[in-house]
Amino acid sequence: MITATDPVIVAKDIHKKYDDITAVNGISFEVRRGEVFGMLGPNGAGKTTTVEILEGMRDADSGDAIINGINVKDDPTAVKAIIGVQLQQNAFFDKLKLSEIVDLYAKLYLAKVDPVEILSRVGLDNRKNAQYAELSGGQKQRLSIAVALVNDPVVLFLDEPTTGLDPQARRQLWELVRKIQKDGATIMLTTHYMEEAEELCDRIAVVENGEIVALDTPDALIDQLLETGFKPEKRVREATLDDVFLNLTGHDLRD
Amino acid sequence: MKIYLALTVASLKMYFRNKQALFWALFFPLLIMIIFGIMNFDKYNSPNVGIYDAADNPASQALIQALRGTSDQRLLSTTTTTLEDAHHELEFGSSRGVIEIPANYGVSGEFAEIKVTYDERFQQERAVIATILGQVTNAVFKEINQVPDEYRVENSIGITESVITGQGQGFKAWLIPGIAAMAIMQTGLFTVVFTLVRFKSQGVLRRLKATPIGASHFLAGQLTTKAIVVVLQTYVLVIVGAIVLGVSVGNGRIGAWFDLTILALLGGALFIAIGLAVSGWAKNEETAAPVANIISMPMMFLSGVFFPLSVMPDWLTQWSQYLPLTYLADGMRAITVEGASITTLGSELLGLGIWIVISFIVATKMFRWE
Repeated sequence: MITATDPVIVAKDIHKKYDDITAVNGISFEVRRGEVFGMLGPNGAGKTTTVEILEGMRDADSGDAIINGINVKDDPTAVKAIIGVQLQQNAFFDKLKLSEIVDLYAKLYLAKVDPVEILSRVGLDNRKNAQYAELSGGQKQRLSIAVALVNDPVVLFLDEPTTGLDPQARRQLWELVRKIQKDGATIMLTTHYMEEAEELCDRIAVVENGEIVALDTPDALIDQLLETGFKPEKRVREATLDDVFLNLTGHDLRD
Repeated sequence: MKIYLALTVASLKMYFRNKQALFWALFFPLLIMIIFGIMNFDKYNSPNVGIYDAADNPASQALIQALRGTSDQRLLSTTTTTLEDAHHELEFGSSRGVIEIPANYGVSGEFAEIKVTYDERFQQERAVIATILGQVTNAVFKEINQVPDEYRVENSIGITESVITGQGQGFKAWLIPGIAAMAIMQTGLFTVVFTLVRFKSQGVLRRLKATPIGASHFLAGQLTTKAIVVVLQTYVLVIVGAIVLGVSVGNGRIGAWFDLTILALLGGALFIAIGLAVSGWAKNEETAAPVANIISMPMMFLSGVFFPLSVMPDWLTQWSQYLPLTYLADGMRAITVEGASITTLGSELLGLGIWIVISFIVATKMFRWE
């Protein structure tokens, strides 16, 4: 019996090596239902490998990945059926309309959905007859989120969802993530944008060299740093350069 | 089943929206067929003659050698075969005459009656063959028996002629099934290689791996699509080819279409398997394209698609007769040109079957998702 307080994602001492490179070196954490959990770290820290093990895309060398009470290595198909996945590099069939892509993926899960309704959730309903190759970077990311939503997932994995997007598109994607969280999904995302983590995540795990070096809420992590007597090099201002850019170019999307 | 249908429908849509694939599958082969058909290469070949050698002695072998002429100056393109096959080939137009050498040919003191059969529709070839045979027997007879000039050849060798009305429709009819077979090869090999390698390198396959469906579902959908395309393409090429070049298909036998469908599916399965093997091995389109071309180009020219194997040197045909495309082209040709039924195509079906098994074993060993 799974209750609302049970963790929906459990990672227990996961290890993964590629040849002689250790990608993940004993990572453990739990994600609560309804939470947005962020995994931060520089490129090559082991974020993607960890997420792909949780998604059943890769086998761990040792340790357990448990999603909604199902151990991934026991039944990867059952796990794949209840999660939504946005991979770091997404690609979809060309020569299909967006509505047809969503419809096809829905059928792969035997889910009955209205493709246009799903597209409207990510703001792409006006492009339902377009093909994947015609989309902008931000639209492609939103389509991949739409496809990840077709099975009404218990957990949504977003691997670097805003990498390569301009500030406007990034902000729109944040809106979308918050909306999906409000609709009841648990979200695990990786990013190397601190602002994004601060904006979206309830809790954050910082990963370095395949290990978690810190895990807490963004506020708590900042407080802990300040308690050590840390002083930022620059004077903290009320606005950021991001704000300047958005003020100059507007919040509207350039799709 | 529902998932499989959804994948098949989706990949059919993708295929028919891809103008480039349609061009290579339909318009390009049609173009070649029509150009070659209109050029009509019939007249450039030395006539094909089937020889049945009942004597099989040095004298008869010398006669056959003389009929062939030298490699510089080919007189007749001869094939030594059984009497039945020789007549079959004449009947269905792959040869222009049958020469039957009697058992007592070259036996001294006996009168040997050589029987020649022609297709009465080809009077020009008939004249060529008759002239060559007359002159060659004359010359060879003198050489073998070293008879003085005053002994006339007519006293030892007779030539009787008979004619049939063949059903062969010449090079045009011969060309159509070959081009259709070539198109099956191109579709099977190239569309599989290009779509799968592109899906693989772009990460489409990886994204599918994140869903609950297995690899087999996706591949089954792809293969069904290609099978449908291959059959439709064969129909279009054969029908349009027959109309434009004005020939009949399978002597009007309706069952020929059923047989053609079976052969198209077998050929499709074979070349799809080869395509899977190549796309499993290749990392991206740059490496896949040359490999696919290295496999298909030699077959295009060595498998009797554009020209009969009989015009090629023997050292080449003794290998090229075992090529996958040769079996497919020969089988389709037997059905459309000779009016054969698929049940009589023993060696072609066996050859295709062996190649299909080999290719699928290699494909399953080679295929990778990423």
